[in-house]
Amino acid sequence: MSYPTSQPLLELDNISLAFKGVKAISNISFAVADGEICALIGPNGAGKSSLLNVINGVYRPQEGQIRFDRVERPRMRPHQAAELGIARTFQNIALFRSLSVLDNVLTGRNLRRQGHWLGQALRTPGAAAEEDRQREAAERVIEFLRLQPWRDAVVGRLPYGLQKRVELARALAAEPRLLLLDEPMAGMNAGEKREMSRFIVETNREFGTTVVLIEHDIGVVMGISDHVVVLDYGRKIGDGPPDAVRRDPEVIAAYLGTRH
Amino acid sequence: MVRFADGGERVPATLPDWLRWQAQQQGESIALRHKRLGIWQARTWTQVAGEVRGLASALQVRGFAGDSLLVILSRPRPEALLAALAAQWLGGVAALFDPLAEAAGQRELLRELQPDFVFAETLDELERLRGAGLAPRLTIYAEARGVRAQEGEQDYARLLAGLRPAQPEPQAQAGRGAFAFYRRGASGRSERQLIGHDELLRQGRQLVQAERLGAQEEALAARAFAAGGQARYLLAPWLIAGFRLNFPESLATRDNDRRELGPTLVAGTRETYGRLHELALARLPQPGSVSRHLVDWALARRPGLLRQTLGHWLVRRPLRDVLGFSRTRTPLLVGEPLPRDAEAFFAGLGVAVRAWPDPSEWHSPPVHPLPSVDGWVAGGPQPV
Repeated sequence: MSYPTSQPLLELDNISLAFKGVKAISNISFAVADGEICALIGPNGAGKSSLLNVINGVYRPQEGQIRFDRVERPRMRPHQAAELGIARTFQNIALFRSLSVLDNVLTGRNLRRQGHWLGQALRTPGAAAEEDRQREAAERVIEFLRLQPWRDAVVGRLPYGLQKRVELARALAAEPRLLLLDEPMAGMNAGEKREMSRFIVETNREFGTTVVLIEHDIGVVMGISDHVVVLDYGRKIGDGPPDAVRRDPEVIAAYLGTRH
Repeated sequence: MVRFADGGERVPATLPDWLRWQAQQQGESIALRHKRLGIWQARTWTQVAGEVRGLASALQVRGFAGDSLLVILSRPRPEALLAALAAQWLGGVAALFDPLAEAAGQRELLRELQPDFVFAETLDELERLRGAGLAPRLTIYAEARGVRAQEGEQDYARLLAGLRPAQPEPQAQAGRGAFAFYRRGASGRSERQLIGHDELLRQGRQLVQAERLGAQEEALAARAFAAGGQARYLLAPWLIAGFRLNFPESLATRDNDRRELGPTLVAGTRETYGRLHELALARLPQPGSVSRHLVDWALARRPGLLRQTLGHWLVRRPLRDVLGFSRTRTPLLVGEPLPRDAEAFFAGLGVAVRAWPDPSEWHSPPVHPLPSVDGWVAGGPQPV
């Protein structure tokens, strides 16, 4: 394992994943320090999304170990990952399109809810207070991501860039320790990318949330990341601070391109 | 309406005096509301006066005096207004700058001004100040998000939390400046407009009397108040009549917030009404369609009884609701007149927009440091 200099929140050790004999990920090890922004880069098919799916328990690797918060998690399922504080967004937007922005963000609070369904059905004072707490938490995220003008708008009618922001809001509403973002800026124009980059950096700084993101825009990656891991054909070919990765000959040859 | 007993109470002569008077008269009534986290958060007159006094104390401790200037670079929000009142409480002047104005020109003006005391809304405004190479003695910022405070920069909430009990009495004087506005004139030189307490209160009182404004009014401060008209016809009347001043959640939500609030008093500019006119037009049925004919029929001026009744229920009332004018009884226009089509549209809606003059006078060059003279700029015309 390499690079992180401070306490790791997430450690992947010799992870291998195959689908019906086809190797998607081979012997990948890296660590993500608590509080950093780590970018996973690599060409299409390099295994980046598969690796995110391994981290949050959607896929179970055939080999290797995952440690989250210094505890080994050999058979972690997605709901357990969520309970541990791992949230994610998806490459293709996965929101409740017919619900409002506020309602979508509130769904991110499900694991933070206290109280019993009976109390909610009977509208007891405790249940009402709990509703207020959840609403306030959701509103704080809406304010943080500047989504107030669209609070009551139906998500399916919003432009693509805003839907991506709502997806981030729903993930943040869970108050995650580790946020996995799968191409959060895909399909965005330059202005939207700038805005989204700023939200990611501010999320990291304000809440101390550790971020692992997949991104193809190298300018964005180099601008916001503390740590870059480069994958190619399911193998790790680079791991380190952005400047070091940018100068790595193997990375240049495989991904960033060589000058002829 | 506000009335003073004959020969009894002294009429407040400055904005801070009026604030204190309102806190004494109706301390528990709501003075300010600000939508935040989806909810209208309220401050009573007592709370407003207490917060202004506390801020004045914090400014005084850091050297703010009667001849000092507080530059305010912010969108409309309660903290900015209270900071302005705190500067005036100590006899100083609040210079209002619109953060949406062109950045390079504004940086240049600020560089010329070299303020010692600044209120900046967010990190963006702080960066604009830093970019201008300014080093104020104190910079208060309202939103701490993303800010890594440098020397002399302090979070508004922390500043208030760390207050000492000693709190100053109002030191403002009627003949002195209250608000200042700066701009780059046609000649390329910077110009200043200085409005005194007496002038503001005189014009505010005229408006309160002419429009019969009282404490029951609801006003929305949706425009950046970096304009003299807002100070004359919104802030001064607010303090005199003691009504509720509401701030939207953000500029982007102001139309929703106006609709939700239904203000009785709107102090807008040509741009405000023009934007609302365009918003309404965008929502009307296509020209030439049957529904559009119905709308045009209903909005005609001087309608008969049938047209008036049907038009009210079918078109005017819903349209006024959409624009947030459902309860508006005092729609004011400050500054330039409305275009004819916009004027006709609002008249058809039954919104009789009243024009109030914006007697702004700009003088060049601004004197620095600020002159300690009564009224207007030394050598310039005196207030009438």
